[in-house]
Amino acid sequence: MASIEFLILFLVGAGIIAYLLTKLNTIVGSIFTIFTVMFVFVSLAQYGFGMDIITTVKILPGISFSQSYLGFYFAILIVFIYLMVSFFHPYFIDKYKYKDSYNLLFLLSLAGILGAFYTNNFLNLFFFFEIIIWTTMFLIPQGKSKEAAVSYFGFSLAGSVSLLLGVFVIFNSTGTFNINDSLALLSGNSAVLVFALFLIAAFAKLGAFPLHIWLPITHGNAPDPFSPVLSGALVKLGGFIAVLALIKITPATVMFRAMDIPIGHYLVAILGGLTIVFGTLMAIKEDDAKKLLAYSSMSHGGYILVAFSILNSMAFAGGFYHILAHALASAGAFMAIAAVSRVTGTTKIKELGGMIHKMPITYLAYLIAIISMAGIPPMGGFISKWLIFQAVIDKGMVFVGVAVFFGSVGSFLYVFRPLAALFLGQEFTEYKHVKEAPILMLIPTFVLMGLNIYTGVFPAAFLKVINNIIVELGYTGITYTTYVISGNNGVLNPALISLVFVVGILIAFIIFILLKKSRKVELMDTYTAGNFIHDEHLFHYSTDFYAPLERLYEKQSHWMTTFYRALAEKVKELGKLGKYLFMSKSLSVTLLWIISIIIFLLWGEVL
Amino acid sequence: MNVVFLIAIPLLAAFISILIKKYASYLLVAVGLFNIAVLIFSKNGIVFIGGFDTTISANLLGITLLLDTYTRIALWVVNVLILVIAVLNIKTYRDYGSILLLAMAGLNGLLLTNDLFNLFVFLEISGIAAYLLSTSNKKPVSTFRYLLYGAIGSSLFLFGVVILYSMYGTLNMVVMIREISASNNYTEVILPFILMFIGLGVEAKLLPFNAWVKGVLGNSNVLSGPMIAGVYMAAMSFVLGRLVTNLFVFEGTLLTVVTLILVLGIVVGDLMAFSSSKVREILLFSSIAQSSIIILLFVNGLTIWAVYLIVANALSKTVMFLVINKATAETENDEVDSLKGLFVHNNIVGLTFTLAALSVMGLPLLVGFVIKLNYLTALAGAGQITLIAVILLASLIEGIYLVRLLVKLWYKGEKDLRVEYHFSFKMVFIAIALSLLVFGNYSTPLNELDNSIDTVSEVVNNG
Repeated sequence: MASIEFLILFLVGAGIIAYLLTKLNTIVGSIFTIFTVMFVFVSLAQYGFGMDIITTVKILPGISFSQSYLGFYFAILIVFIYLMVSFFHPYFIDKYKYKDSYNLLFLLSLAGILGAFYTNNFLNLFFFFEIIIWTTMFLIPQGKSKEAAVSYFGFSLAGSVSLLLGVFVIFNSTGTFNINDSLALLSGNSAVLVFALFLIAAFAKLGAFPLHIWLPITHGNAPDPFSPVLSGALVKLGGFIAVLALIKITPATVMFRAMDIPIGHYLVAILGGLTIVFGTLMAIKEDDAKKLLAYSSMSHGGYILVAFSILNSMAFAGGFYHILAHALASAGAFMAIAAVSRVTGTTKIKELGGMIHKMPITYLAYLIAIISMAGIPPMGGFISKWLIFQAVIDKGMVFVGVAVFFGSVGSFLYVFRPLAALFLGQEFTEYKHVKEAPILMLIPTFVLMGLNIYTGVFPAAFLKVINNIIVELGYTGITYTTYVISGNNGVLNPALISLVFVVGILIAFIIFILLKKSRKVELMDTYTAGNFIHDEHLFHYSTDFYAPLERLYEKQSHWMTTFYRALAEKVKELGKLGKYLFMSKSLSVTLLWIISIIIFLLWGEVL
Repeated sequence: MNVVFLIAIPLLAAFISILIKKYASYLLVAVGLFNIAVLIFSKNGIVFIGGFDTTISANLLGITLLLDTYTRIALWVVNVLILVIAVLNIKTYRDYGSILLLAMAGLNGLLLTNDLFNLFVFLEISGIAAYLLSTSNKKPVSTFRYLLYGAIGSSLFLFGVVILYSMYGTLNMVVMIREISASNNYTEVILPFILMFIGLGVEAKLLPFNAWVKGVLGNSNVLSGPMIAGVYMAAMSFVLGRLVTNLFVFEGTLLTVVTLILVLGIVVGDLMAFSSSKVREILLFSSIAQSSIIILLFVNGLTIWAVYLIVANALSKTVMFLVINKATAETENDEVDSLKGLFVHNNIVGLTFTLAALSVMGLPLLVGFVIKLNYLTALAGAGQITLIAVILLASLIEGIYLVRLLVKLWYKGEKDLRVEYHFSFKMVFIAIALSLLVFGNYSTPLNELDNSIDTVSEVVNNG
């Protein structure tokens, strides 16, 4: 049987071996990394579902583990994303400056993730969180921008600092660091304080408004195979903290009688709604495919927050399912973009076009992933959004309802833009030579495609695991059968919907076969304005799709970036003020301080 | 062996070395090794000097030295670090052998002595050595200002001691602690205590008494940087810590004011580092914040974690200042941007520097994390949530500027930067980085010691 301690130590040891192997040969090191992650995934999958993992600790000092469905759910999902991404390493690692350490840091961060979801002690949780942060922080600058690492680290550290402060408030009022015990004992004002602090941590990690600006910077500039990890896996740590804060703490604040949820939770739901709206609007504007997906991750983080702030099992099921569906979809989409970027060297939408001719499988993977992201059947994203919509409508949350529907409609607008411009559209001359991704990279692509569809057609297998978590959290599980999910406002039959889709596609296919074949022509075999075309100019423009819409909020879109830049500037100025006040070259200033302190002290006591 | 040797031999050697200037640095290494031998073979206890009465309660005049685990740790740090720095600079700074010997004598005395006036004397001796060390920066005005600040500091300290002497008629610390607790008159001792606190605060780099630091450390080199930021800061923190723990009674307004000064030091120190674009300034402002944290821990009675923090900090800062000062000496420019890509050709040096920086930030797998988590837990146990919030906020700022620095040093700028580090430097870096890493992962030995390493209160109670 697998012991969690063994798995962590195994990852650390394998990380060191991977470092040495990568130093010798990057391909060998990367393949070793794939097998390492695969081993961990298989062990987890084998024993984790039945809660059969050994959690006793023999070697690691001061660390204790326990298993829960909640932790396992996150752990297995993230390990899976790591596994998928590791298939990309052999083809990317050579591009990076410090390639030797890439696999090492990758595996170390995975060790941190296992620890974080299996520990039952807050200090250990913080320990593992910090490991994840600093190992990944050194991976990010290997991509395009060095500043991205600072931004990522700053916001993540702000989150961890807030988490740690919350942990100490808990310790101060309950006297224990045990996660379940202390959260159960927590009450009164300290519960409210911890609730707020944990939520800051969750918002920072999840990249939710107003702590979101690091998401596009980091996702957009991280190494291509690392962006799917960030978006599909690491951001979900915020979801975990949100679950702790929103479901496990639930401070006794004033209730909103009309909606029957506490006011604190309602505020979180509103912020989640804002996150959805802002993420969507920014994604619509974005020209870089990776940044676009980053904003889409932000808006999906909003859905997760909304789901967990509505305190009923339908919403929880939606939230957990959304974590799964979005992880699979965003990993799929980011990996497709990474595959394109590998051969073209750019992720800018306007510099790309017609990739479908060369990379049809990658195109298909991207298509399926974005269908899931947009919440269209028959993909996983539809199921989770349906569950969340049910819960939101049930509670009568008008503003949040508008936001979640807006996000859904908005995502049609943005996810299809890279599809139209990058994969479809006119083929660029400079990319005529490119080829489809190699077979090793297609393996995870196919797996993710399959899962994106499977989660949308047969959700029952996943809902079973999710129901375990919901029961563990003290709520009753949702009602579902193999084919039907029942909500308060109706039932959903995903398999039937999918069948309709399949039939539709079949009919279309038959028509396609029966009708006359279209003739394939060269790009130049056309005319415009009564003239033949003599050179391959770009005649197909797919930038500025939504210019009229963008113009509506053109000025406002920089507010948050400006705000944080100004904040950094103000902190700098405060430092300069400090230097001016305390580091002056004049001795008399120091004397003034000394004398003032002494006079202040003696005033009223001795004088 | 008698611990008096730790003071007497370096002092003697300092004078001899002036006569044989050529061999001064070798003499220094020999004395350093001798000191370590003394440390190994000496036993804990009180040493009476000058044949005065050996019952401590009656000993109002004689000077006594106290060696306990606390002092022992401090002496190890100081002597080993001086020895290492001396060996590293044996070729480049030949003329500073006598001064380092003087520093050794002064600092050892400062740590060992149990007599307040004697403490002042050693403060002056080590101060003189520090001023002379700072002359190697070739910035005479900064050195002069350092001298003035040092003079103000030690005068304030002396003033405080004089007031205490006139009140209690003794200079022996143990006897004085007993007298103060017997008289139990809090308001009368506020003035001497704050004077002494400020006096030592000047040397321990506490804001707002430390304006000298910028001129001295901002222009430091491979000798003066690690000496003043590593060795002196450690020694002064140990001395101030001992007085804070045992002698000073911080209550009421005095406690508030001292806490405010320290909190200000932590926050403003990190803010100043955040706003700096020069590497050495970033490091020195960061160490201002660190020293305020250390003293804050002493004020809150967390002696053992303060001690570990001093040691970890002295080690990390030694590495960081050595790496940076060596590079700035070659580029003659210490703007962060001009050092971009320093580690591209120096991976090992870069790795050790990174580990040291991560330890200062308090990130896991390094000893800084263990220490930080432990002292924060202790503070939480004492209900000091506000202090924790301040420390964490400062550590957030610290994390951001250190990561910004690290990223710039690891990735190349416009020009290719090549700095050669001698093999001996690399060995020292690796040794220190390994120790930070080992104790960060295997922290059980750290738990073996507790606050009782400081035995002054035992001596006070049991005689």
